[in-house]
Amino acid sequence: MRKAIVIALCMVALVAVGCLGASAAETLNVIYMAQAGYQPDDIRDMADLFEFLTDTKVNITFVKYDEQHEKIVASAVAPVATYDVILLDLIWTAEFASKKMVVPLDDQITAEMRKDIAPAIMDAFVFDGKTWAMPFLANFQLFFYNKDMIKKAGFAGPPKTLEEMVEQMKAMKAKNIVKYPWTDSWNQKEGLVCEYVWLTGAFGGDTFDASGKPIFNEGPGVKALEFMVSLLKEGLANPKCLTNDETAAKDDFISGNAAFTTNWTFQYALMNDPAVSKVVGSGEMGLIPVSKAIADKKKTASVSGFQGAAIMANSRKKDLAWKYVKFITSPLVQRSYLQEMPVWTSVQKSAYANMMDQTMAVKSEQIAAVHHRPKVPPYPEVSSILQRYIHQALQMKMEPKAALDKAAEEIKAVLAKK
Amino acid sequence: MLLRAHDASERRLAWWLLAPSVALIVLVVIGPLLFALYLSFQDAEPTVGGISMRFVGLANYVHHLVQSDLFWMAVRVTVYFTLVSLGVELILGIAIALVLNERFWGRSVVRAMILLPWAVPTVVNARMWEWIFAGSKFGALNGLMKVLRVFPPTHDQVWLGFDVPFEAVPVLGSLFKWMGVTRALNMIIVADTWKVTPLVAFLVLAGLQTIPSSLYEAATVDGAGFWRKLTHITLPLLKPVLLVILVLRTMELFRVFDIIYIIMQYSIRVLGVLTYEVGMKFLHFGSGAALSFLVALFILGLALVYIRLFYTEDGY
Repeated sequence: MRKAIVIALCMVALVAVGCLGASAAETLNVIYMAQAGYQPDDIRDMADLFEFLTDTKVNITFVKYDEQHEKIVASAVAPVATYDVILLDLIWTAEFASKKMVVPLDDQITAEMRKDIAPAIMDAFVFDGKTWAMPFLANFQLFFYNKDMIKKAGFAGPPKTLEEMVEQMKAMKAKNIVKYPWTDSWNQKEGLVCEYVWLTGAFGGDTFDASGKPIFNEGPGVKALEFMVSLLKEGLANPKCLTNDETAAKDDFISGNAAFTTNWTFQYALMNDPAVSKVVGSGEMGLIPVSKAIADKKKTASVSGFQGAAIMANSRKKDLAWKYVKFITSPLVQRSYLQEMPVWTSVQKSAYANMMDQTMAVKSEQIAAVHHRPKVPPYPEVSSILQRYIHQALQMKMEPKAALDKAAEEIKAVLAKK
Repeated sequence: MLLRAHDASERRLAWWLLAPSVALIVLVVIGPLLFALYLSFQDAEPTVGGISMRFVGLANYVHHLVQSDLFWMAVRVTVYFTLVSLGVELILGIAIALVLNERFWGRSVVRAMILLPWAVPTVVNARMWEWIFAGSKFGALNGLMKVLRVFPPTHDQVWLGFDVPFEAVPVLGSLFKWMGVTRALNMIIVADTWKVTPLVAFLVLAGLQTIPSSLYEAATVDGAGFWRKLTHITLPLLKPVLLVILVLRTMELFRVFDIIYIIMQYSIRVLGVLTYEVGMKFLHFGSGAALSFLVALFILGLALVYIRLFYTEDGY
């Protein structure tokens, strides 16, 4: 009897060893968003190729953008990381870096690599003198306009300034070409801060100074919010803007219900897809116009939505994680997925990329004019305050200046605590 | 003597039999609850592989109760959401239960069908109503309004908008504004009520079926009409059931999170949404835990008020 038990235990042990041997390939866990930017199929493609080349198993968890932050934090506080590689939005750089949730990559990123990435992109992931993520997605906003509506309204081409755009919109409204010429993503989420940042830039300013102090409640910042409110008051902006996210704003535009909007790069492909778009041929992408007051100094302004690939500090496979990060962010991979703007200058300027993507020149010009959101550790809280008060002003429950003053006061209190 | 020893061993056996359940409750309910209470007195933030803590006493509670406008705004919005939802659910629930209590052809089919909304998971319900209230592309409600010629073809109502109902009405408008009432909040009340009213109706129906029919027969003989029977027999005898509904639903409504967060994210900050935002988005675990306990205290207070108002020795 005892012999039989020993034999059985040996067999079980052998089977277990066999199973472990069969799964010798290391597993890497990655979290990525299923929203704007590279689409899940592309990310899976990249991972499949990496698996083929390195005999690694890559598990990817796709979540909505808004769900990422808390999942990453939950992974960071666990004894063992749930995810080895994360998508690090530039707005989280300061927070994750100051909490040491991700590892610095300065030893891995060579001087040659740095030279080929524009400082505007690379600096987004620098905090306290260290680089915390490898740039992966160079997302930013562009201007989308309906050239047929512009023509019907009696204008030769797209507006060069915000004032010209308002003039065109009023003409469109008067001629019943479109009920609400402007649409945007002004719901109380991160997207609202992005819209406000580029608009403040379009009026010649920034929302925060270089030291991270709020300055949006003076001059350009106030003008930007007053401009947003005026679009709503004059019936030029769709009231639905207040509940729109970027996807809903895109839907408004590609359904032919708006003449103008700004959005991330992802809108371009969908705008030209006959399966979903009613504006194929009439929808165009160009540079975001700025206010007349600064038009002689600056041609355009935008907002950055750069994202990098970072490695969790509690990952037990940091070397393998870097291999994966290096692979998916490599020029070779980025050249193959040109639906998003490559982070490498050499790829952006390559003849191949310019042949495959006719908008590369516009994108390159627009990306050079991006404004960043602030790099402060309690960013989610800072952003939430800003969203709340901007939204109050858009709902016309507070005056723009008063709303921004209150937001600045609360943000200063939050920053003082840190 | 022997009997007492037998009793003692019976008691010991009972404790042994209960031990796994007690251990489980301590592990998954009481333990986390005590930890959350401990957390509420700390300034707690996540760090790699754990949480850093610093004792701050009652500072988290003081911050919410004294320094935070956001907290009191969330209280007002939550109170409005709770009161209106509860009122609508009770009135509709009692009305539906009264109908279902009558004999009519196909009653069992109607009873089964009426429970369907309650079978829909909250997340699905929230998404469904979000689409019903959506704009021109998918919005079923706007589509229906256009088909019925209530709206012209080009008009799209923003159902989840932020306009204050009756804003122009002198006192009511100001009150609604102060309470944070918006069109979107009222639409979410519609969505939540649609799902929960069937449950209320069935609980009331169960109560109705315990009322002896002889009481109604006697009342009929005395010449009482529908209204007098309702106010003098039905509602008084439903008191125990209504108390259960009130306490349960108040608890659920006061800590509502899912339906509001799914449809509106942070645009409508009820206490549940605020707690989530502070605890999980801003990562102030201590402050979030303090908020949770404040919500629990509010619910406890309301439950005590209900019990004082409705509870009687004989249950009626």
